[in-house]
Amino acid sequence: MTNLQFKLSHLPREARDTLFMLAVIAWVLLPMLGELPLWCGALTAAVLLWRGVLAWRNQPLPSKWWRLGLLALATAATLISFKTLLGRDAGVALVVVLLALKTLELRARRDAFVVFFLSFFLMLSNFFYSQSLLTAAAMLIALLGLLTALVNAHMPVGQPPLWQAAKIAGGMTLLGAPIMVVLFLLFPRLAPLWGVPGDAMAGRSGLSEQMTVGNIATLALDGSVAMRVAFEGSAPPQSQLYFRGPVLASFDGQRWQALDTALVQRSRDAQLSVQGPAVRYQVTLEPNQKPWLLTLDATPSAPVFPRQRAHMTAELQWLLNQPVTELLRYQAVSFPQFQYGPTTFNASLQPYLRLPDGYNPRTLQLARELQRTNPPPAGTPSSAGAAQLANARTSTEVGQHWVDTAMVRLRTGGYVYTLEPGVYGRHTADEFWFDRKAGFCEHIASSFVILMRALGVPARIVTGYQGGERNALDAFWTVRQSDAHAWAEVWLAGQGWVRIDPTSVVAPSRTGSLARLQSPRGAMAEALLGNISPQVALNLRAAWDAVNNRWNQWVLNYSQSSQFKLLESLGFESPSWEDLIYVLCGIVVTVSLAGAAWSVWDRHRQDPWLLLLLQVQKRLQRAGLSISANPTPRQLAEQLQAHFGDSPSEAWRGWHDWLLRLETLRYAAPATGGSYRQQLATLQRELRHLRA
Amino acid sequence: MLSPRAYARQRFASWLEARLPLADTVTLNQRNVYILPTRAGLMLAVTLLVLLVASINYQLNLGYLLTFLLAGASLVAMHVAHGTLRGITMNIVASHAIYTGDKAVFGINIQNQRKQARYGIALAVQSSEQWVWTDVAGQSSASVQLAFTPVRRGLHRLPRVVAQTLFPLGTFRVWALWRPAAQVLVYPKPEINPPALPGGSQDSGNSQLSRTHSLGEPDDLRPYRRGDSRKAIVWKKAAKTGELISRDSIALQQHELWLERQHTGLSHPEQQLSRLCAWVLQAEVLGLRYGLGLGDQDIAPDSGPNHQLRCLRALALA
Repeated sequence: MTNLQFKLSHLPREARDTLFMLAVIAWVLLPMLGELPLWCGALTAAVLLWRGVLAWRNQPLPSKWWRLGLLALATAATLISFKTLLGRDAGVALVVVLLALKTLELRARRDAFVVFFLSFFLMLSNFFYSQSLLTAAAMLIALLGLLTALVNAHMPVGQPPLWQAAKIAGGMTLLGAPIMVVLFLLFPRLAPLWGVPGDAMAGRSGLSEQMTVGNIATLALDGSVAMRVAFEGSAPPQSQLYFRGPVLASFDGQRWQALDTALVQRSRDAQLSVQGPAVRYQVTLEPNQKPWLLTLDATPSAPVFPRQRAHMTAELQWLLNQPVTELLRYQAVSFPQFQYGPTTFNASLQPYLRLPDGYNPRTLQLARELQRTNPPPAGTPSSAGAAQLANARTSTEVGQHWVDTAMVRLRTGGYVYTLEPGVYGRHTADEFWFDRKAGFCEHIASSFVILMRALGVPARIVTGYQGGERNALDAFWTVRQSDAHAWAEVWLAGQGWVRIDPTSVVAPSRTGSLARLQSPRGAMAEALLGNISPQVALNLRAAWDAVNNRWNQWVLNYSQSSQFKLLESLGFESPSWEDLIYVLCGIVVTVSLAGAAWSVWDRHRQDPWLLLLLQVQKRLQRAGLSISANPTPRQLAEQLQAHFGDSPSEAWRGWHDWLLRLETLRYAAPATGGSYRQQLATLQRELRHLRA
Repeated sequence: MLSPRAYARQRFASWLEARLPLADTVTLNQRNVYILPTRAGLMLAVTLLVLLVASINYQLNLGYLLTFLLAGASLVAMHVAHGTLRGITMNIVASHAIYTGDKAVFGINIQNQRKQARYGIALAVQSSEQWVWTDVAGQSSASVQLAFTPVRRGLHRLPRVVAQTLFPLGTFRVWALWRPAAQVLVYPKPEINPPALPGGSQDSGNSQLSRTHSLGEPDDLRPYRRGDSRKAIVWKKAAKTGELISRDSIALQQHELWLERQHTGLSHPEQQLSRLCAWVLQAEVLGLRYGLGLGDQDIAPDSGPNHQLRCLRALALA
């Protein structure tokens, strides 16, 4: 080990600089390793390692055929992985490989610069995948590393220690930070200049517009934040926090999708009426790449937010005209007590009774048996199946009866909530009701809706988020992807659409309690948090979430409206983006003028030491000494000596001593006797007592 | 009539001359330090633009932060680069006389009065591209040596000196021009293997050329000392005793040598001077008394280093 340390501290400069550079590049690439195809990460790591070994052993670089061959290989692999060379992810993968290969070709100054600029670009591409605080911190370190390497490359003399370059790079970054802040605050936020490639939307978790078995299981394990909610006043009970997402009503046997007609219907078809107290809240929605605004049930008026307009579907979902690609903040007012949907059966409800042929025969059989063995309570005219079907369409009690029947069956039939129900076959509802009796919300909701439809009750699936976690530090509610949920809505005559959450009877803990399903920890988290008590871990997570939330609110959510608010607080009445430009230009002009003024002042400012020398020179001249142009203190002393000749007087000694001390102060300032300024002041004082 | 381009160039050259007074000491300030982006600087600008467009298109606030921080740091780097040269004081240390064809080496002292060190300063003779790199620690100075090869004899000004730096990021080239006032004296190139000195005892064909004196007594001998000329050695005695015995210089039978252009037997004036130069050096080595006649300027016979310098100087400026 000491041998290694010795070698490390005695590396030739070129090897040391190369290794440092490779380390910085590795640091830039590390956070995005998980987002790259496996081959890309492996190839890049191998090339960087290879280059490091070559530098360590001071061996020559490989020929250009190696680079060309590897580049061809990488291009082919990119084509196979992404089916294209264009697009965001394919481009990033290619640039990563290009950067690694470029390190094999660090011959000219230009090559080094190409490496630097590719690295800057890849730092930005890290933000495609994550804009978290951690990523930001990692990239700040990366930026400092790259600047250090650049500064070091421009210190060509000797072997300066890296910390020296790091100090200079750090200083420059620190001085650059105010410029960054001003530009960040005032640079007008533009809409995308051209269409963002489609794969910008890929690979991010979130709700989906369709639901197949197992889809939400992945989400349940994803602890990333979906949205943050701040309630004005007290929050509703957690069990009532149903954030509405897409409504799925079309079932083809495998997959639930939105009805084709859902988009055609207009919001007034919703026939929404609300009552009771309102809940006001602010949502900070993480980008979900979908046009969905998640709101609490039910939100009658459009959420308030800048720039865009939202509209509501007949299924109560609020939509934007374009996907949410950046952090979005909006205000909403919801009413937990509401009623919507037609009160009498009409043709628009027909699609909510449709079931595909040839699927779930046993569930259909169960419905028929229930209608025979457990008919709705007396008092309703019931005779035959067809009449009962009509009854469910006209009578609230019949519909309610079937809902209760199914819920009782779920509660008492030995059904279990599990995140690992295994792979379901063709007849998912049959397997759930009869064979496995285990599943999570989407199995349960899907099976419930199929049974309802078989019983003649119009029903559909609603997806969204349920619950959330209150952060004690800042009172924000955090809703995670693991809170994604699927529940059901049934239509009851006279009442319209009514929310039924079948999962709540199978697994009461899933909804309405603080104990969340713990997602499995990564090995790192296990090592770090393994010995910490759950309460401490929870507190740590709460603090971390609060910091993250601030980060989101202040940095990631900073938008044009925030800019306008800033301008308003500066006194602009109705700010526009032109005003931003004016303010920005104003600051630039002010700073430039200040800089110019300083430089004028600086030009006329004289070095205090030189001033002192000039003063002495004048005094000696007045005393009759002939003095050469621009003398040094020592020359003055010599001239003094020549003037006085061999008869050194006391005064001469004083002058001589003083002049030599002046010289010493300039060229070899003594460590003792105070700072440079103090010593200069002392000399100035003594000058007054010297006599010519 | 000059073409506009040549006229502009001439105007620029004269403007530059006016801006660049001759001085042996120069302190760099805003007026005489120039700055322009390098190719790498332009590449950085393009990179920043790409980063900005990516931030806009993908609506990445963190991308904006990165872009603006990098832009800010680059802007600061521009000031750091300018500040690396601004405020330094340079002065010529010394330059020695040389013979034509030799390199004239001169030293430059760079003083840094501020507390922080200045890194990566390069100096070169203008358009020589032979950069000499140095760092100057805080409140101290550094010396570098530059060289140039004058093509002609005579008194030459030192060539223009360029000081430049790419520190800290290589995105800006900061440079300053300096015309030192100091001059260097260039003697004629001494002829290699010149013919023997004119006159002297060996070839006293021309009585005008050498006036022979017989000075001193023959017995004024002493042991050989370094620097004694070969003529001073009493070879007969040396052969007998095995020791080198010299005649004392006063005792030396001296020739008073007179060197003139026409004695060279050459027609080309530079070749004449070249031979005279070689002869002066030779005569000095031999410890002869020699004079130099150049027509407009005569130097009376003498010997010694000062006399030699006087002769060489006359040859350089002839």
